[in-house]
Amino acid sequence: MKCRKCKALAAVALPSHNTAFCPDCYPVFVRSQVERAIHRHKMIAPGDRVLVAVSGGKDSLALTLLLHELGHDVHGLHVDLDIPGSSTDARAACEGFFAKLGLPFTVVELRREGLAIPLVKSRIKRPICSVCGKLKRHYFNKFALENGFSVLATGHNLDDEVSRLFANTMRWDASYLSDQGPVLPAADGFARKVKPMYRLTEFEIANFSFLRGIDHVIAGCPYSGRASFPVYKSLWSDLEGRMHGAKVQFYENFLRDGRPVFAAWAEHREDPLSPCTVCGYPTSAEVCGVCRIREMVRVESEAPRS
Amino acid sequence: MIHVRLEPQGRELRLPKACTALKLLRELGLGVNSALVIRDGELLTPDRRLNIGDEIVVRTVTSRG
Repeated sequence: MKCRKCKALAAVALPSHNTAFCPDCYPVFVRSQVERAIHRHKMIAPGDRVLVAVSGGKDSLALTLLLHELGHDVHGLHVDLDIPGSSTDARAACEGFFAKLGLPFTVVELRREGLAIPLVKSRIKRPICSVCGKLKRHYFNKFALENGFSVLATGHNLDDEVSRLFANTMRWDASYLSDQGPVLPAADGFARKVKPMYRLTEFEIANFSFLRGIDHVIAGCPYSGRASFPVYKSLWSDLEGRMHGAKVQFYENFLRDGRPVFAAWAEHREDPLSPCTVCGYPTSAEVCGVCRIREMVRVESEAPRS
Repeated sequence: MIHVRLEPQGRELRLPKACTALKLLRELGLGVNSALVIRDGELLTPDRRLNIGDEIVVRTVTSRG
């Protein structure tokens, strides 16, 4: 296979784009996809301070590199989950990456918050992946607001977005379908959230990370064995193998035709947000989700163990 | 023999004869966009030929958490 641009020997073949690229031209293609996403959805304005949520995986580190090279003012935030055999490597990958680029970087340790994931997992019967996601979103948002960042960027890719959309559609969860997309505007108590990698698949980002020498963690979270997203991703991978372009078509057509319908529906049903009575964080309930998790951990920790 | 290492699982296997990267992925039950095929630090497209004596890394790309 030859590179579409320079005709050198190709390193990456992309059936969904019916093309291939050499190691020099491929990163240019990836960068153009991110630039197009940022431009099309007006994700980042000049002068924005961008907080990038980084996990140590290929997606968030690639996003950091791309935003930095595109000239944006980026600061990394990692939430250390304290999971044995996983979190130490993830944190080290982030620290090494940001030190190499000379970019500012902060770590929030859940252990210091009394919410280390192994402790939470042992005390709460809910699926740990959803609890972990809720905690990470809370601390990313909190840090962004408290430190004056105008944009919170995450490394969500097309596979993440399609899987989430598929899961929400399977449940016909109109509330989630009303605001799923690559941009979530700032609201009272919530930072503006953007997903500049939403046009790129995991495969495309993995190739980019390899070619750019990004030293990221490869092993998955040891607690993710029963998560549903890998199942959806596998289904969509099979479908994409038979119907090239199915993922991007499903997602882009939803943004164009589906989301506006659900957004209009949600305008009439939106639960008003009010400050959490414990911590002041905006919530549609009396007490926010994170404070409820904290309380469940406390109650279970104090209960006599059989 | 072609020596193949699967990442992140760490599993290793050997193939007795030359084939293409596509054939290798199919034998492993993987789609062409499911994994990187790497030889000597170089990415291989599905049409590239694998030869006896090659050391190949197949790295699946789906992140888990």
